Amino acid sequence: MREDLRQQIVELMGVHKGLTNIVERDAETIMSGPLPFEASEDGLETIEESFEIELIIPHGFPNTLPRVKETGGRIVADYEHRNPGGTLCLAVPVEQRRVFLEQPTLLGFVNRLVIPYLYGYCFWKKHGRHPFDEAAHGYEGILRHYVDTLGLHDDLAALGVICFLFEHGYRGHHECPCGSGLRVRACHGPALRALHEHHTPQTLRNDFIAIFEMCYTKFQNGQLSFPQPLRLQLVRLLNRFKN
Amino acid sequence: MTVDITKYSKFLEQVASEIDIPPGKYQDAVDRYKAVGRWLEEGEYPGCSSELSIYPQGSFRLGTVVRPIRDGIEASYDIDLVCEMPLRKDQSTPQAVKSMAGDRLREHGTYQKLLDPEGRRCWTLEYAEQDGVGFHLDVLPAVLDGRGLLSTALAITNKNGSAYSWSASDPRGYGAWFDGKNDAAFARAVVEQKQNIQRRASLIYASIDKVPDQLVRTPLQRSIQLMKRHRDLRFNHDDHIDYTPISIIITTLAAHLYGNEADVYSALSGIVGRLQAHTALVEGKAIDRSLAAMGLIQRRQDGTWYIGNPVNPAENFADRWHEDNHARARAFFAWVDALQKDLLDILGEANPRLLKEHLGRVLGTAAVSKHLDVLVLPAAIIDTPPRIHITSPAKPWREV
Repeated sequence: MREDLRQQIVELMGVHKGLTNIVERDAETIMSGPLPFEASEDGLETIEESFEIELIIPHGFPNTLPRVKETGGRIVADYEHRNPGGTLCLAVPVEQRRVFLEQPTLLGFVNRLVIPYLYGYCFWKKHGRHPFDEAAHGYEGILRHYVDTLGLHDDLAALGVICFLFEHGYRGHHECPCGSGLRVRACHGPALRALHEHHTPQTLRNDFIAIFEMCYTKFQNGQLSFPQPLRLQLVRLLNRFKN
Repeated sequence: MTVDITKYSKFLEQVASEIDIPPGKYQDAVDRYKAVGRWLEEGEYPGCSSELSIYPQGSFRLGTVVRPIRDGIEASYDIDLVCEMPLRKDQSTPQAVKSMAGDRLREHGTYQKLLDPEGRRCWTLEYAEQDGVGFHLDVLPAVLDGRGLLSTALAITNKNGSAYSWSASDPRGYGAWFDGKNDAAFARAVVEQKQNIQRRASLIYASIDKVPDQLVRTPLQRSIQLMKRHRDLRFNHDDHIDYTPISIIITTLAAHLYGNEADVYSALSGIVGRLQAHTALVEGKAIDRSLAAMGLIQRRQDGTWYIGNPVNPAENFADRWHEDNHARARAFFAWVDALQKDLLDILGEANPRLLKEHLGRVLGTAAVSKHLDVLVLPAAIIDTPPRIHITSPAKPWREV
């Protein structure tokens, strides 16, 4: 095991003392055990609970984030925020990275993503609604994430943003992809820079595919038309996938 | 289901054994009462030709002893002894029988000092032991009734002010009845348990056959112990104390309702479930026919209650249940519901700390803390869970 990962595991176990079972596999380390917590959010109730969890830490961590399973059978089958493989769906990938990067360690991952998720589940179970709102499923959720967090006018603007990030990364002096006509640094600069910093090449590429697919379906249905510059940019970017 | 049933059953077994009398203490108690017995036997009693006999009754006899808790502190064991004088009821008076035993005890230098003032039915010897775990030895003077259906029926004495009277009792008959309910489970458990006891207490018992049968515990006996401990803690408040379910009712009903289950959890859950099925009686409603046919808890036409002594149906253990608007009946069924919630539904609790707190509150902190490692990894039992304040949380999503 890598030394930095070992240290992070030690730090995690120092706080979450139940995660004592550690198994090494080829490309991942699995920690499991009970995860008791007492969590609160401003204006919301304090919840004290404990879940049996399994934390699957890929050796590509922190570029690839851990996956989490709830193994005690506590999360009811009709709770929607679980992936097909049974892992907990903590957030859309870039949002997961944003939250993770606030404290980019295993402990931060558990405290900022896993426990808020479990808190949210308990809250939902009790009150029938989500305390922090919930994202739409699949690609729709990713598209909406861009539209909502950047305050964009439409889906096309989201496609512009992801194409911009995918092609250039962050460029302050370019025209803002939101369509305002302003320069990036005078418009969505901070938000784009943040996204650029949060993404890994893999998550950026996945989000590009997601948003492109959503928009392409609408294009085929005649709900959306691509302006010429965007069309050319898409051709350039899609060519990347051929290599 | 969060707690594993097999582990939980083992945990209950261990907690029950923790609140039970340990083999060393049991042996001390036996030595003490045998010495008292010898002293009483050697006395001269007017009109007695043959020897008197002294033997345990109640929980010590039935194997359902629970260490009492008073004000949250574990107190001395209560051991009830019958001192059966070789007389018949019609040959003596209650006062004479009571004072024969009392006078003889007072003749002994040590017992005289240990003796409490005369009780309603018993003479009590208070043993304060060096290890702080003492005994109250209650000596119950009795004579053969001579009229009862069973040859084991006794007459015991009752002191009310300065007046004495007889009442009926049949501890031997009751013990035999209880054994009948317990026999099959006893036969299953005896070999393995004696081996374990001998291994743990090899200084007291040199070999397995030296281990007395009275130390073997079946799931029925364990269940009764747990119910009594739960009762002791629940009714350890002055406002309830008058309506506390009495041990003889608990023991009788549990023995009737025990379905010969092989482990403590199943036994307890069977007993509690079948007791709960009687709850409708409080509202004067009908209960399940097969239970009603057993007639264990009956509601009579006039609203009074009946729980019969299995060896003397004329004795009604629930003769005061209708008083104060059925306060004892209500307290009993509310307690049965609490048993279900506190000892059985607790299986759904995943939080190790809450598990520890809840079980500690209902079974006693000391006994629970000692054996909680059967249920959860010790590392998980932490006093306070990490406190997390959530800021700018992510929204949950799902891949398609």
